[in-house]
Amino acid sequence: MAILEVRDLRVRYAKRGPEILRGVSFSLEAEDFCAVIGPSGAGKSTLIRCINRLVEPSGGEIILFGEDVLSVGHAGLRRLRRRIGMIFQEFNLVNRLSVMDNVLSGRLGYTGTVRSLFRAFPRADVERALTILDRVALSDHVDKRADELSGGQRQRVGIARALMQEPDLLLLDEPTSALDPKISRDVMALVRGLAREYRVPVLCNIHDVQLATEFCNRVIGLQDGVKKFDGSVAAMDRRRLDEIYALEVL
Amino acid sequence: MTAATARIDLVLASRSRQRLAGAAAAAAVAAVAAWCLHDVVIADTDWSRIGGTLGFLAALQRFFRLDLGLATQLLEPALETFMMATLGTLLGCLFSLPIAWLGALNVTPSRFLAYPVARFMMVLSRSVHEIIWALLFVAAVGLGALPGILAVAMRSVGFISKITAEAIENIDPRPVEAMRAVGANRIQVMLYGIIPQILPVILGTIIFEWDINIRRSAVMGLVGAGGLGLVFFRQMAQFNYGGVTMVILAVLALIAVGETVSHYLRKAVT
Repeated sequence: MAILEVRDLRVRYAKRGPEILRGVSFSLEAEDFCAVIGPSGAGKSTLIRCINRLVEPSGGEIILFGEDVLSVGHAGLRRLRRRIGMIFQEFNLVNRLSVMDNVLSGRLGYTGTVRSLFRAFPRADVERALTILDRVALSDHVDKRADELSGGQRQRVGIARALMQEPDLLLLDEPTSALDPKISRDVMALVRGLAREYRVPVLCNIHDVQLATEFCNRVIGLQDGVKKFDGSVAAMDRRRLDEIYALEVL
Repeated sequence: MTAATARIDLVLASRSRQRLAGAAAAAAVAAVAAWCLHDVVIADTDWSRIGGTLGFLAALQRFFRLDLGLATQLLEPALETFMMATLGTLLGCLFSLPIAWLGALNVTPSRFLAYPVARFMMVLSRSVHEIIWALLFVAAVGLGALPGILAVAMRSVGFISKITAEAIENIDPRPVEAMRAVGANRIQVMLYGIIPQILPVILGTIIFEWDINIRRSAVMGLVGAGGLGLVFFRQMAQFNYGGVTMVILAVLALIAVGETVSHYLRKAVT
């Protein structure tokens, strides 16, 4: 049973602008750790942002957890979004807030407006935050401000925030592009470990094919808004890779 | 050789043209200044009333015979001025935040209605002088500190809301995106994604405005709105020039205190 079903997805940002995604279809299974690879400008970020509707598609269909993502209203969209954890290329933390506040902000979708005004999250949320911060090895940094941390630490705060949502799907948008190679590998290993532990499927944009083949079980290749490959990592060979990246001018 | 000479001549000619233009501009400014001087100073002053250099100095020295007895009567109005500035600033903030919200392009609920209305209110607040605001409110609510507070508040809205709106327009959009992605509602996105980013700017601006509002409150009394200005007005009406100087000194002291406090507070918040 597919968790996520995307059919003929189309996006254009301006009414008469170029089509960024030109009819992409795929599905994601519960145990997938699926990489989306492709050259810059292929539409990877746009694709991943359509799934939680940070970007509004201009056509197609997205079925997530059996619900039609594109037809839900405001409240329905918020209910869907809180089940989707997202991890960003530039971490997207609130710099002036503490690590704890950043992690707790992952609960906002479950928290009332008045409670969030006073940052009065329930005890159970704080408890969960501490457990997760332990798990991502940040327990010594709970009260630090987010901008005091290193890149790798900041990305682990981002991961903790996503896990706070008790997500049923993780979206990763180039999670390692702002990190050095060693830390990138650590972050990918951490996410893979957590995804298995919490049994969450992952859809991961990634520029680095090496990392994709190392950590993912499945690959979707995107080129200029069109899906060019969809299969297991084992089926991904040199020839297909060259084809996907053929348009990239180095 | 000839080419080089021609080039030198060309440069020299352009430089003398520039000199000529500069001289013409200076002459034009001097002519306008002379015209103004003649019309508004030379022709418009009652020279016989000044009565020579000695008379001028005699008039000035009346201000230097300080009326020290007034000192104790200045404490309460000084405190009133201070309170007027503080309450006016707080009230101004209350109005400013929603206006800033409507007037920031990236968060305004409507670019065609809310945004222009908010921008107009910002301009209106600043283009009307605080004394005019005070006159309006004295007419509306009568004499006392209240019209002063309202005037100070109205005058503060423009600056605080404009700076806040600009701060909102310049935020980093990435935390906002993250907050939308976790399922936060509009207010939560504002509380967690936007306000932490703009808080230092807002606080700094409010403290700065408070500092300026002490100056404004000090003159409110001239139109009947309480504080040190009222004492100033009374001393002037009684021709007690020594008392006038005492009020000016009190205003100076109050402003010095405000500026010192503002300096350290602003350092603390940024």
